[in-house]
Amino acid sequence: MLRPRTRQALLLWCFLAPSLAIFLLYRVIPVIWNLVLSFQYWSPLKAAEFAGWDHYEDLWFDDVFWQALWNTLIVIASAPIGIALALGLALLVNADIRGRNVYRTIIFLSYPLMTVAVAIIWRWMFDERVGLINYAARTFDLVDKPIPFLNSFTWALPSVIVANIWQMLGFYMIILLAGLQNVPRELHEAAAIDGAGAWHRFTRITLPLIRPSLFLAFVVGMLNSITSFDLVYVMTGGGPGRATEILVTYIYKLGFVQTKFDDAAAVTIVFFVLLISIAWAANRFTGGNAGAVETE
Amino acid sequence: MGRYPRWPIHFALIGAGIVMLVPFYWVLKTSVSGENIYAYPPSIVPRHIHPFFYIDVWYSIPFARYFLNSVAVSMIAVVCNVAFNALAGYALTHGFRGKNAVMLLFLSCMMVPFQATIIPAYLITGKLGLLDSWLGLALPQCSTIICIFVFKSSFDAVPRSLIDAARIDGLPEWRIIWHIMLPLSRSAIATNVILAFIWSWNNFLWPLIMTRSADMQTLPLGLARFLSYQEDTTGALYAFCIMVLAPGLVLFLMAQREFIQGLTSGATKG
Amino acid sequence: MNRASKWRSILSNRFVVVPGVIAVVVLVWNIYVATHNHGVVIGRVVDVNGNPVADATVALWIFNFTTYEEREHVTTDARGDFRFSNNPSYKLQISAEKPGVGRSDRIPVFLYFRSQDIDLSSPLRLGRN
Repeated sequence: MLRPRTRQALLLWCFLAPSLAIFLLYRVIPVIWNLVLSFQYWSPLKAAEFAGWDHYEDLWFDDVFWQALWNTLIVIASAPIGIALALGLALLVNADIRGRNVYRTIIFLSYPLMTVAVAIIWRWMFDERVGLINYAARTFDLVDKPIPFLNSFTWALPSVIVANIWQMLGFYMIILLAGLQNVPRELHEAAAIDGAGAWHRFTRITLPLIRPSLFLAFVVGMLNSITSFDLVYVMTGGGPGRATEILVTYIYKLGFVQTKFDDAAAVTIVFFVLLISIAWAANRFTGGNAGAVETE
Repeated sequence: MGRYPRWPIHFALIGAGIVMLVPFYWVLKTSVSGENIYAYPPSIVPRHIHPFFYIDVWYSIPFARYFLNSVAVSMIAVVCNVAFNALAGYALTHGFRGKNAVMLLFLSCMMVPFQATIIPAYLITGKLGLLDSWLGLALPQCSTIICIFVFKSSFDAVPRSLIDAARIDGLPEWRIIWHIMLPLSRSAIATNVILAFIWSWNNFLWPLIMTRSADMQTLPLGLARFLSYQEDTTGALYAFCIMVLAPGLVLFLMAQREFIQGLTSGATKG
Repeated sequence: MNRASKWRSILSNRFVVVPGVIAVVVLVWNIYVATHNHGVVIGRVVDVNGNPVADATVALWIFNFTTYEEREHVTTDARGDFRFSNNPSYKLQISAEKPGVGRSDRIPVFLYFRSQDIDLSSPLRLGRN
C-alpha cells in the first residue's frame, strides 16, 4: 500500500497526464521530429538517410525561401501599426463615456470570426472592379484608375496586412484596455494638478505602466501575423508570383503539395528559430521578465 | 477628473465602429441581393432582397454534412478541453516534486504555434490511424495552456478552508473537484467552453491537411473549396460566408464577457 | 431558492433561451417543410389579352448544376390551369406554348425548399415571338 503522500502525488500526475500527453504528442515531439527530419533525406516511401546540412544549403540558394522570409518580416513589422491604432482606440474606450461596452463589443467583433470568411470578405473589398476600397478611392479622387490590389506586386502584401489588422484590432484593444484599467486614476489626477499636460501624462505615466500589456500585445500580434496561413491562402494563395508568400504557406506548399517533407522541416526550423528570437528580443526590449509566472 | 467634452470621443469611436462594421454590412447586403458582384458602382442600400442564395448554398453543397462535422469536432474538443484542463489546473494548485518542470514545459509549449508542427502532427496522426476522423481532427485542440491557467487561478481562489474540511471528511480528490471546485468555477468553465469552441470551429489549416475524403470536411474547408470552384461569381458565396459566421457570432454575443475575460486573464498569466 | 424561482432562473439564462428558441424554430420549420413538400406546381396560362388558353403545353425545367434541363410536360385543361405533381427540385423554370397562339418566356421559379408546393401567382402569358 503506497503512502498517502505518494498516492496523492501519483493521483496528481494522473490528472496531469491527458494534457501532458496532448502537449507532448502535438508540441514537444513535433519540434524534435522537425529538427531531426531537417537533417535527413526522407520521403514516406523510402527509409531515412542522413543529409547533413544539405537542406539548409538548398534553402540558402532558394529564392522563394528568401522572398517568404522577407514577406514574413514585413508582416511582423506591421504588427506595431495595429497595436498603435489599438492603443488609440483603447484610450478612447477607457474614457469615462456611456456605452463603452457597446463600442468595445463592436470593435472586438471581428476577432472571433472565421478567418476564411474574413479573407473572402476582404478579397472582395479589394477587388479591382467592384471592390469597396477602389470605389472609396475613386469617390474621394485619390486615384484615377482602379488599383488591382490583390494582383499587383506592390499592393498585395499591404492588402493582406490591412485585412489582418482589421481582424486583430479588437484583440489588441482588449489587451491594452486591461492594462490601462490597471493604471490608477489618482496618478493622472495628481500629475494634472501639478500642471502636466495630457501628452506628458501619457508618455510619462501611462506608457511605462502599460509596458507588460504592450509586450503581451506585441507577442500576440507577432505570433498571429507570423502564422496567418488562413488569410494569405484564401486571399491570394501566396501570389501574385510569390509576393505574399510567407513562411507558413511555403511550409504548407513544400510539405503537402510537393510532398517534400524534409525540405519543409528545414523551413519549419528556420521559422521556429525566427519566432523564438523575436520573442526573446521583445522580452529584453521591454525590460525582461515580462509575462513571468510565479512558480511556487 | 476631466471636464473635457465627450462628443469627439464618441465621434471617433463611432467612426471606428463603422470601419469595423462596414465589411459585415456589405457582405450581408450582397448575400441577400446579389448586387455588386458585377455591377459598379455599388449601391449602399440593397434593392430586391431575396433569400434564395441561402437556399442555393444549402442544397448545392453538402452544408449539412460540413456543419455536422464542424459541430462534432468542436463538441469533442470542448468536452475534452474542459475535462483535461480542469484536471491539470487542479493538479497545478498543489505543490509536488517536478511541478516547476511541468510549469516550464507548459509555458514553453505556448511559444510553439500550431503551424510549426504541422508535418509531424500529420505523420503522428497518420500513425495513430486517426486521419480523416472526427477524433483526429479534434485531438490537437483537446487541451490549451491558457485555459489550464484560467482554471488554476480560479481554483486558487477557492478558500482553503472548504477544501480542508472536505479532506477531513474523507472525500476523494475527484469528488472534491466535482462537488466543490467546479461549481465555484462556473465562469472559468464558460470561458474554457467558449474559447475552445471558437478556436476549433474556426480552425482551417488542420482540416485542410488532415481530411482526405470530401465528407469529412469542416465548414472552413468547405467555404474555401466553394471559393475555388465557384470563384466569386455568385451571391451564394457570400451567403455561405454569412451562414458560416452566424454561429460564431451568436455564440460570441452570448458569452462575450467570458470570452474576453478568458483572453485577458489567461494571457496575462504568461 | 425555492423550486419555482430556481426553474425561472434556469429558463431565463441566456444559454438556455437562445438555443431553445433556435431549436423551436428549427422544429417548426421542419414540420412545415414535411407537410408542404409534395412537389405540386400549379399555374395558369393566358394569352395576350388575358384569356385562359386550353391545351397549351407547359414544360418544367430543372436546374442541374449549371443549366436548366427540360424534365416534364403537361397540358393545360379547359380553364387554362396546369399542374405538375412531382417536382423534385427547388430551382425551376416554367414555359408554355401553344402552336398558333404563341409562346411564353421561361419564367424562373425559386422555391424555399425542395418540392415545395407552390401556386404561381402570375399566369404565363403567351406572346407572339
